[in-house]
Amino acid sequence: MSRLQSRLQDFQGAPTHLGRGWGLGLSTFKSLATDEATGWFTNASSFNRAAGSRQALCLWLPTFELRLELVRSPELDSTSVALLSPGETTRRTIWQVSERAHEAGVRPDQLVSQAVSLCPSLTLLEPDPAHYDSAVNSMLELLAEITPVIEPAGRGRVFLGMDGLGRLFGSPTRQAKRALYTLFRIFPAPLVAATRAGMAPGKFGAWVAAASARSGEPVTITENELVAFLAQCPVSALPVDPLIIQRLERLGIETLEALRRFPEPSLIAQFGQEGRSALAWALGQRIDPVRPWHKPKPIRVSLDFPNPVGMIPTLHGGLDRLVERALSRPERRGRSVTSVRMGARLEGGGSWFVETVLREPTSQRDRIASPLRMKMEISPPPKAVEALIVEFTQFGPQSTQTGLFDRRDENGRNVAGSDLAQGDVPHSLRDAVKELKLRLGHSPLFRVVEVDPWSRIPERRHALLSFDP
Amino acid sequence: MSDTPRLRPLGQPSLVDVRTDERGEPVHVRMRGKPARQVEAIQEQWRIDDEWWRQPISREYRAVILSDGRNITLYHDLLDGLWYAQRG
Repeated sequence: MSRLQSRLQDFQGAPTHLGRGWGLGLSTFKSLATDEATGWFTNASSFNRAAGSRQALCLWLPTFELRLELVRSPELDSTSVALLSPGETTRRTIWQVSERAHEAGVRPDQLVSQAVSLCPSLTLLEPDPAHYDSAVNSMLELLAEITPVIEPAGRGRVFLGMDGLGRLFGSPTRQAKRALYTLFRIFPAPLVAATRAGMAPGKFGAWVAAASARSGEPVTITENELVAFLAQCPVSALPVDPLIIQRLERLGIETLEALRRFPEPSLIAQFGQEGRSALAWALGQRIDPVRPWHKPKPIRVSLDFPNPVGMIPTLHGGLDRLVERALSRPERRGRSVTSVRMGARLEGGGSWFVETVLREPTSQRDRIASPLRMKMEISPPPKAVEALIVEFTQFGPQSTQTGLFDRRDENGRNVAGSDLAQGDVPHSLRDAVKELKLRLGHSPLFRVVEVDPWSRIPERRHALLSFDP
Repeated sequence: MSDTPRLRPLGQPSLVDVRTDERGEPVHVRMRGKPARQVEAIQEQWRIDDEWWRQPISREYRAVILSDGRNITLYHDLLDGLWYAQRG
């Protein structure tokens, strides 16, 4: 396991691994963490097969995006290359680096100026998210021929549910190799050769196995080997908040075996629910099944400009038109929008994307467009735009209700931007209370007031006061 | 309806079933209509003896973390011997 230990340390910046180290491991498991409320946490004895596939195969292609760029431009293969971090304009940093650039001292998260001073011949590449998305989609479609239970977990990494495939493909190692060989159909040999594969019960075990595997040589861990396999794994492998990892390491808890010695209540008292999860992973009790990925069908509209556009006001205008068009699409009716993505095809090749999750579901143009405008201000397209794209990617319930706290005056004019004075009540809220009083005979609204906020008797700290402006 | 604004206290205590260990510390809590939860940790405890001149209060409080990750405040009413829970 010492090989794994050193390899995990290498993750911090080695070119053959993901540039963002185990921090990306956390994002891999973000989906797990959010699923927690739905009860995906399970153990060997209580596993429900309907909930997903227990046997997980992790395929991981380190520095996936950079390798895709090198496939597209093979002449760069023998040079020092670095991919720039997406979504940054000022103080741009390095995202992924090639082996040659790494040898010259270039590391992920370094400032571009620093990287160039270390390696003057460094070739910097702008990220092309549309190209990477397309490659991931092709990979998922292809792997769906092996198993229908597929869960993507960040670019270059995918989990396959392998339950019940033994009779079809043979031993776990043969199953993993079968998945690897399948990739030859869409990716060139060097890309597949760099892919790591790990198979184990649950996603965490499979991910650690893949991280410890050599290129093209799958590591398979059986049920009985899992606990021993995880013992020497560093705590940095845990998909928990990086601050928790830092604290554990400062306390001298380096491996999962060391973590296991602590009683569960102590970890919960220190780290909350994540402390419990960390212990369950360390003990091999938490087996995360691979869940079939549900890909929501987005509503996508686009606008081709006759000439490439670099003016932000023109792009804002285009954005407004696109949001209106997307809102008027028949498949949007009856649904509000919760997540939206804006992208552009750039002059001379390449793409640009920004994405936002709305604070609340809405079907109002301005509420959808304004966070995108802000994102565009912060991170504008790096080149002139040939075509603008808007995608509604997630939807909520129908929403036609207007906000009670809308800042409108009695004539309906919007007074947004002018702060309400202390004690002022928005006109819309006053109207709502009036209507409720007419219907019910009294105001059913309350406001929370402090009574004795420092009282040692909790029920005396706050109270509800009936609200009747 | 009276026109006088009414105050309603927030975080009123509700009766709960509590199983204690040999030292009298809570180990399991069952709130009405919910499954029993194990007490994972006791974060803080304090005692109040007050208002003896009108409605005496004598309570032993414990701020606890339950096995589902929730933080609640439990108190043992030393006058009626019952356990109550409320949001802390």
